[in-house]
Amino acid sequence: MSQSSPLPAFQPDLANVLERITDGFFALDAQWNIVYMNAEARRMLHAPPVSEILGKQWLETFPMARGTAFEREYARAMRDQVPVSFVEWSRTSNCWFEVKAYPSPDGISVYFRDVTTRVEAERELERRSSQQEALIELSRAALTERPIEQLFDEVVEMLVVYLGAAAVELYTYDERTRMFRLRSSDGWGEKADARAVLPYASQAAAAIAAGGTIQTVDVRLDERFVDRGLFAELGLRAAACTLIGTPEVPQGLLAAYLTGDRAFGTADLHFLEAVAATLGEAMRAAQSSRQTREILESITDAFVACDRDLRVTYVNERMAAFYGRKREEIVGTNVREYLGYPGGEHVVAAFRSALDDDRPATFETQTPNRRWYEGRVYPWMNGVACYIRDVTRRKLDDLRIRELNTELERRVRERTLQLEAANKELESFAYSVSHDLRAPLRAIDGFSQVLEEDFGDQLNETARGYLGRIRAAARRMAELIDALLQLARIARHSMSFQDVDLSALAASVCEDLRESDPRDVIVEIEPGLRASGEPALLRAALQNLIGNAWKFTRKTPAPLIRVGRTSEGEFFVSDNGAGFDMAYAGKLFGAFQRLHSADEFEGTGIGLATVARIIHRHGGIIRAEGEVGKGATFYFTLPEETRAAS
Amino acid sequence: MKKPYILLIEDNDDDIELTRRAFAKNHIVNDIVVLRDGAEACEFLFEEKREGRSLPQFILLDLKLPKVSGLELLERIRKDERTALIPTVILTSSKQEEDRLAGYKLGVNSYVRKPVDFNEFVEAVRQVGLYWLVLNEPPPSIGEE
Repeated sequence: MSQSSPLPAFQPDLANVLERITDGFFALDAQWNIVYMNAEARRMLHAPPVSEILGKQWLETFPMARGTAFEREYARAMRDQVPVSFVEWSRTSNCWFEVKAYPSPDGISVYFRDVTTRVEAERELERRSSQQEALIELSRAALTERPIEQLFDEVVEMLVVYLGAAAVELYTYDERTRMFRLRSSDGWGEKADARAVLPYASQAAAAIAAGGTIQTVDVRLDERFVDRGLFAELGLRAAACTLIGTPEVPQGLLAAYLTGDRAFGTADLHFLEAVAATLGEAMRAAQSSRQTREILESITDAFVACDRDLRVTYVNERMAAFYGRKREEIVGTNVREYLGYPGGEHVVAAFRSALDDDRPATFETQTPNRRWYEGRVYPWMNGVACYIRDVTRRKLDDLRIRELNTELERRVRERTLQLEAANKELESFAYSVSHDLRAPLRAIDGFSQVLEEDFGDQLNETARGYLGRIRAAARRMAELIDALLQLARIARHSMSFQDVDLSALAASVCEDLRESDPRDVIVEIEPGLRASGEPALLRAALQNLIGNAWKFTRKTPAPLIRVGRTSEGEFFVSDNGAGFDMAYAGKLFGAFQRLHSADEFEGTGIGLATVARIIHRHGGIIRAEGEVGKGATFYFTLPEETRAAS
Repeated sequence: MKKPYILLIEDNDDDIELTRRAFAKNHIVNDIVVLRDGAEACEFLFEEKREGRSLPQFILLDLKLPKVSGLELLERIRKDERTALIPTVILTSSKQEEDRLAGYKLGVNSYVRKPVDFNEFVEAVRQVGLYWLVLNEPPPSIGEE
């Protein structure tokens, strides 16, 4: 070791000063030989003792400085004879140095200090602020309508840039296979394929167990990570993994790796978690948006969504097909453009009303192609959504039905008027019949009698007999007129349906008959016969039926009349009287049809026609069975009694 | 002429004859004044064209009359103070519900249907005459006239 002072050029007192300053200091001559280096500089540069470095080439002593900014800047100072100052990472010392170099004719003097703390703080701050910006950018990107794959790539790139990550992986979780699938990555080179699938039992399970995020300083030694050989091969050391989604519902995994001695700081982890959270939101939104879209595309309704200005933000394929245009051409146009046809205004009104009143509105419209559409408009996402359905067929059916109904009503009205007119005619006819036809009859009868009374002594027996015949004929005609009038009245009788006790009614009718034509007739009436009907008409019907039975049993030795109901529910009135030939059954219910001569049994031939008309007016059916000499049975149906009314 | 009489308003000659005969057969000898249409009856009753007669003690009214119908006439009879209280009986061929209802609503005293059978007709006239001319006490104003 030479005893000489470090540098002949340096005065001892100067050297004294230089040894005491807190900055590192060294001097190089023009040939880059170290002529002086203070203790602080040697400490910081991990340099050997002074005796070993003095006069040595700077680059030989600090080979790691070759090709660095240090070499370049010192060379510049020497060459251009200008002072230089810079901040640079020293590979020799693994720290940041702030350097000032001053030229002199025979070399340079260099002052430097360790500014690692300051630089790192600055860089951390810078990174955090850029991470913040990146996050905001990511959120914005996540909200825009773009393929989720694109977002995955952006996230990976972002982690590379803002975390300084050497490798990044983005997995999504497939619940069905319980596997994490690689969707985007960086820094793996040709090894990316090896990472295509990550089993559940891996860093993923560890992240889930940890509630979200794990990190390690040396991934090669951390058993929570699988495929550790690969990390070693790529020189990856520190790692951070965070779950996308929640431990309960994992959606994926985000992993970043660093090389060298760097570890993830708290801020880095927060950034990673924030990115994962944003991504998770975007994935959920995309998922629901995809589902929504799938629904919107699968529905048979046309669908259009627009913003508050009624500009189209979305249409499904069906809607686009309807306009014969591409979806991209329709998006961005104003809904009004399509509604310029007459009648389209109220569609716009429905859209506006859904917007302004914030509640659903509906419309129905016929477009210029003559088709009918029904639409439902809903307030939707800062705008409105509208489902439109082709209801042409239904509408045409409706219109047709309405037309038919109108036509039917018109016909009914017409027929009603005709009927009313006919009824009026019938009424006046009946009036005339009852009034005018009777007057001549009365005259015939009256004057026949007058003739007999006043001129009886001038008439012989035969003439008086003829007069009797004239009078009988007149009286009979009067009866016929009355019966006809009754028949006509039934048609016009108002129908007020009530529950009627037919058993009681039949008993009352029989009583009347016993009084007017007292005979020894056995009458059996089944109790509890009830039906719904017009009491006065039903009484008239029973009067005729039982009256007939009474009449036609006149020549029967032991007359029996039965009133009852069959097991099929038909009411019946039967007798064991004269009966009739079934061959003539069809004529029974016609007016003026008689199966017996007046000599045998008197009658107008209108009674059964009246009964039939009464039953028909109740919506019932009447039929008869009989045999000559054995009796007759009349069956009829009536509406069931309404329990509620009884 | 203050003698009480029956006013028969009827357009059918046959019926007029038969009615007269029925009264005669029943020994009802009151005068019978016959008017053959509604308009004539109006003049007789309300315009005093009665040739000095007072108002009738009893009116028999047919419904189907030329010009002014029986029901219209009845309405006027009942509305006019002079005739409002005269016992009036509808004697008609019609037994239509509507006619009966309208008749009673307008204040007729009886509604009698003319039977076709002359014997029954005579009996009906007998009873009506007996009741309204003998049994029934007329309202005061008419009795005093």
